[in-house]
Amino acid sequence: MDYGVITFTSTHGAIYAQQVLKGVAPFVTMPVLREISKGCGISVRFSPEDLEAVRSAIEASDLLQTEFAFYAVTGSGKALRADPIL
Amino acid sequence: MSQVIDAKGKPCPQPVILAKQAIAQGETEFVIEVDNTTAVGNLQRMAGNQGYSAQVAEEGGVYRLTMVKTGEAADCAAAESGMQPKTYTVFVGRDIIGDGDRTLGTNLMRMFFYTLTESEDLPVSICFMNAGVKLPAGDEQVTEHLKKLVDRGVQVLVCGTCLNFFGIADQLQIGTVSNMYDIVSQMQAAGKVISL
Repeated sequence: MDYGVITFTSTHGAIYAQQVLKGVAPFVTMPVLREISKGCGISVRFSPEDLEAVRSAIEASDLLQTEFAFYAVTGSGKALRADPIL
Repeated sequence: MSQVIDAKGKPCPQPVILAKQAIAQGETEFVIEVDNTTAVGNLQRMAGNQGYSAQVAEEGGVYRLTMVKTGEAADCAAAESGMQPKTYTVFVGRDIIGDGDRTLGTNLMRMFFYTLTESEDLPVSICFMNAGVKLPAGDEQVTEHLKKLVDRGVQVLVCGTCLNFFGIADQLQIGTVSNMYDIVSQMQAAGKVISL
C-alpha cells in the first residue's frame, strides 16, 4: 500500500476523528477517492507505517465500527486501487 | 543621465507605484533607491513583468536598483503573438471555504489544496489576501500542498499588508510577500480567476 485512508459515514465523524488522531500520527485531510465513493466527502490519509497506531486510536474512540472504514491505496490515476482493510 | 527616484522610507506599495509611473512616462533606464528587501523583491518582479532588467547594488542599507528596458512587457508579448493561453489564477480571500461552520470550512480548504496538488491543470498563481494569508503562514497541511505547487512552477503571492495586519509576517512558511499591484496584474493576465 502507498498510503491508507479512513472514510466516515458522517462529516461529524470525520472531524471528530481528526481530533482523535492529533498527536497519534501525521495525517492529511482529503476528499474521498472516487474509487471508494462511500461515506461522506471527507477522508483522512495516513502513512502505511502508522496503520496500527491510527487504527488503535480510531477503534478506541467513540466512533462505532459501522461509522468508519479503512482502505489501503496503491498506485494513482487509472491504476489506482483502494482495497478495504478488514 | 538616468532619472533617480528616491523611494527610501516609503511604505509598500509606493516604490512600485513610482517605478510604474517612470515606465509609463517612457523611461527606458532609471534608478530607484529603496531601503528594504521587500521593496527590492516587489520591484524586481514588477520589472520582469514590464520587460525591464533590475540590477541591485546595496550600500549602507540603501538598495539602488538600475532598471533598464530589455524587451516588451510579458502580457503585451503574449497578446501580439495571438496566443490566448488557458490560464487561471486562484484568489484566496479567507482562511475557510464558504460560510457556516469554521471547522467544516477549514477541512474544505485543506481538501481544495489537496485536490489541486493532485491535479495536472495547475493555476499560474495563487494569491492570498485578508484572512487567506493565515493559510501559508499557519496551516500545516495547506503549507505542504503549497510547497509542492511552488515546486511545480505555481507562483504563490501573499499580501504583505495583510500579514502585517495579523502580525504573522514572521510566520510565513511559503510564498512571496506581495502587494496589490502584483496581485491585480496576476488577475488581469489570467484567462480566469477562481475566487475562494
